[in-house]
Amino acid sequence: MSYQDIIKKLETAALHPAKTVTEQIRKTGKDAFGCFPIYTPEEIIYAAGLLPVGMWGGKTELKLADKYLQSFCCSIMRSNIEYGLKGTYNMLKGIILPTFCDTLKCICENWKAAVPHIPIVPIVYPQNRSIDAGFVYMTEELQRVKGEMEKITGRTLSDDDLEEAWELYEEYRRTMREFTDTAAEYPQIIGAKRRHLLIKAGYFMDKREYTQDIREIIAGLKDEEKKPFAGNRVVVTGLLAEPAELLDIFEENQLAFAADDLAQESRQFRTPGGTEGSVWQRMAGRICDQRGDTFLYEEEKSRGQMLIDMVKEKEADAVVIFMMKFCDPEEFDYPIYKKELEAAGIPMLYLEIDQQMDSFEQIRTRVQSFAEMLA
Amino acid sequence: MTSKEMLNHLVAKHYEGALQAKKEGRPVVWATSICPQELLETMGLVTVYPENHAAAIGARKEALTFIEHSEAEGYSADICSYARVNMGYADIRHAEAQDIPLPDLIFCCSNICNTVIKWYENLAKKLNIPLIMFDMPFNHTYEVPAHSVKYMRGQIEYAIKQLEDFTKKKFDYDKFGEVMKLSNATCEWWKKATDWAKVKPSPLNGFDMFNYMAMIVCMRGNEDGHKLFKLWHDEMEAKAKKGKGPWNSAEEKYRIIWDGIACWPHLAVTFKTLKKYGINMVTSTYPESWNVRYETNDLSGMAKAYASNYANRNLDYDTDNMKKLVDDFSVEGIVYHSNRSCKLMDFRQYEVQRRIAEATGIPSVVFDGDQTDPRNFSEAQYETRIQALVEMMEKNKEAKRRG
Amino acid sequence: MYLGIDIGSSSSKVAILDEQKRIAAVSVLNLGTGTDAYEEVMKDAMEQAGARKEDIKFVVATGYGRINFKGADKQITEITCHAKGASFLMEDIHTIIDIGGQDAKAIKLGENGQVANFVMNEKCAAGTGRFLEVMARVLGCRIDELSSFAEKSTKEISISSVCTVFAESEVISRLSAGEKVSDVARGAHMAIAKRVMGMAGRVGYEPKVVMTGGVALNQDMVRCMSKEMGCEVAVAPYCQAVGAIGAAVSAYDISHKKEK
Repeated sequence: MSYQDIIKKLETAALHPAKTVTEQIRKTGKDAFGCFPIYTPEEIIYAAGLLPVGMWGGKTELKLADKYLQSFCCSIMRSNIEYGLKGTYNMLKGIILPTFCDTLKCICENWKAAVPHIPIVPIVYPQNRSIDAGFVYMTEELQRVKGEMEKITGRTLSDDDLEEAWELYEEYRRTMREFTDTAAEYPQIIGAKRRHLLIKAGYFMDKREYTQDIREIIAGLKDEEKKPFAGNRVVVTGLLAEPAELLDIFEENQLAFAADDLAQESRQFRTPGGTEGSVWQRMAGRICDQRGDTFLYEEEKSRGQMLIDMVKEKEADAVVIFMMKFCDPEEFDYPIYKKELEAAGIPMLYLEIDQQMDSFEQIRTRVQSFAEMLA
Repeated sequence: MTSKEMLNHLVAKHYEGALQAKKEGRPVVWATSICPQELLETMGLVTVYPENHAAAIGARKEALTFIEHSEAEGYSADICSYARVNMGYADIRHAEAQDIPLPDLIFCCSNICNTVIKWYENLAKKLNIPLIMFDMPFNHTYEVPAHSVKYMRGQIEYAIKQLEDFTKKKFDYDKFGEVMKLSNATCEWWKKATDWAKVKPSPLNGFDMFNYMAMIVCMRGNEDGHKLFKLWHDEMEAKAKKGKGPWNSAEEKYRIIWDGIACWPHLAVTFKTLKKYGINMVTSTYPESWNVRYETNDLSGMAKAYASNYANRNLDYDTDNMKKLVDDFSVEGIVYHSNRSCKLMDFRQYEVQRRIAEATGIPSVVFDGDQTDPRNFSEAQYETRIQALVEMMEKNKEAKRRG
Repeated sequence: MYLGIDIGSSSSKVAILDEQKRIAAVSVLNLGTGTDAYEEVMKDAMEQAGARKEDIKFVVATGYGRINFKGADKQITEITCHAKGASFLMEDIHTIIDIGGQDAKAIKLGENGQVANFVMNEKCAAGTGRFLEVMARVLGCRIDELSSFAEKSTKEISISSVCTVFAESEVISRLSAGEKVSDVARGAHMAIAKRVMGMAGRVGYEPKVVMTGGVALNQDMVRCMSKEMGCEVAVAPYCQAVGAIGAAVSAYDISHKKEK
């Protein structure tokens, strides 16, 4: 397969999650296990011989979820509950849900009542990550989750299983960092939407196959000639950049993504794991070292400076904010980094989004105006 | 002095003391409402509670000034209105309701929500001052897990070091023991006072509880608070023994739980509408929230007690807790405040409502409102809900009369 | 000649500039996208300018209908066009407030009249022309009567609800409580002014502030806006057609850039 064919394969995989997961289950002979946002210890699931599947909501008519959630709940979580109630997730053996915000805490509790046939394993990461007690707690919490997984699968997990899964995931994360760097050099080939779909495909595939695919795409890209780009390059931040139709508007207006700080994308893989100690300590190290993420307490709040540095490093022209409506943590961070970006003279475009949106006219006007402003 | 007079006197004293401390160059702390204040009290640090202050601003119908300021700064109208009021105050620095000094230290405990983590993180960044964080993991299991207690205990020990660095003073463990003892005693009086509402008719007007709440937030660890709640308790006891109800001008006809915090900007309207129908709010989840009890000098016990409040517990606990309130307080109906500010309370409300209805058979209603943002409440909508509740409660009463 | 057409959600506007970059025609019709109104305003403007089809060298379309409008050489957003139009019509403008049918926007201008920053309302209709339509209906008057009603107001009433639906019920209960129509109309104006002020605060507005869009015809609304922003708010000439004029200016500029 040429690298372009692999791109098409992954794009299709990302656009049709249910089909992709069904095929992967057949191909690998593994059972699928769901992973709620944001940092789910996929390594443990993988080590248990299961196929980790991302659960980042999606576009669906919200009807059943209203039984549990008011309308001012974030659309990703409303979608997930809707899918749970509708039976879309019936192929999952269970799910892991990290409670990074007040909404996630409630979603976990509601899940137990609403979708009792799919067992849920909550995980509570520590917010005080930099002190010893927090680090130790994190390793204990990860091991508790391992115990829960053993109960669900009826299979004992050895340290070797975990080491192997850990190595694969570290390799996946390394590859993804290389991919985003490389993609930024070929905006004509990897536009905003394609970039998103290629990264998203990883949520529905076995990471071994997926990582290999991404490696081949990187190699294919590197053989291409780098061409000057007539449009503008932006750094994007937020929870995620969906619905994907939104990204068509960026491509139409010649806005390429030079780098991202999206929870669904680079925040998943930008930070390598720890290098010392047990596998649990290395896993915990990855969360401890993560910076600039609103879901993890950080006294110095480095996100603004981080975005400024990203803009400089990638020679981008602006920052685009994808604000998931009703996402408290993201909404709290905005005024802080907004001020810092303004002081640095970096133009910003703020877009309020939700996954069920189907009218893009106003956003089209905003994006086009922004492109006109930058040009 | 009645407890109400004492309450007003203590509120004034509390804020004057804080303003005076600032003037004299002593450091001021801003803290969350159910934080381990024992540490601050031991260190003699003057502490102000932004949640109390935002509620006061809301009740004074002044909130919009601060909310609009925060929204212009970029804060979404969807986030907690206490945070929007407080962030606005940090810039505007004057409120008709009450002035408070700006802080030199931020003290935050996440047992009430993760939202305070973001809010207080932003305050510390905005004001460029240090922050002490207590992270109390949400309890998905019925009880607080052991490794979680160990983590919280570690944080208390770390916080003591941080406080020593901040004040450049040694932490006095003997004094700490005394403060712990006093805090437990105060909490006990608070609980005993609010428990008088179990009597029929209740001597306690539940909306008064909202007012006294400000003091259990800020005076748990000192002698004043201890005296206040003892006095309030004695008054309730005396009233109950005389068979007196909540109001002089009306009789208690229905007893309800109000789930969630008050709608401060519409306090009078929400209260009068209930009273018009003879509805007394006899209890809520709040009396138990400040019943923070543990053995003196037991740090792990203290950590566990703080991690055990209603908002930090799972749905099964919430359900049992509410069922117990219905039984203990002879409750006939529940009003659920779907408070736009508080996602942690809201997004469990529907399921709790269903479970309680099934378990107890008592009627309930949900109304839309907000703790301080006056824009998210409709008087007509509220009254319709309350009327509907009265009709349902009356039907139950009638069925009971008929046997 | 150079033509700009602005097809909005509730009105269509055309402006034509001549070779000297002077306004040759301006036409406004209160029918918006999805209708044939643009043909009518186009015809009217051409007649005003005494222009034939072949005299028009360049057409720029803007507004919500710009994407589906077939007869344009280029489409540019109303943000850029309002900025162009306002700085063509007036000097030293730093902030534009445009309240349209379904969008409200605050635009901050840089030194040369280019867009430096802008904010638009989110999905909610509060703070837009649509909110005023709802209010007018509840008050039982025409939308162009709101201003003269509100000017008679003697008492401050605040309509605090953010949501248009809540605001509607709030207004009804105010009226049934015996409040005067004039006071409630003023309250509605102040409610919009507060919302828009919040947006202006986010772009970091500076005087001189100018208001564009159909709502700028409502003088009481302009006064409320000015009170809320704490500075004078001027009304742009041809306030409804500023976007169309900006589009025409763009058409002129693009043609002349090409010739060079």
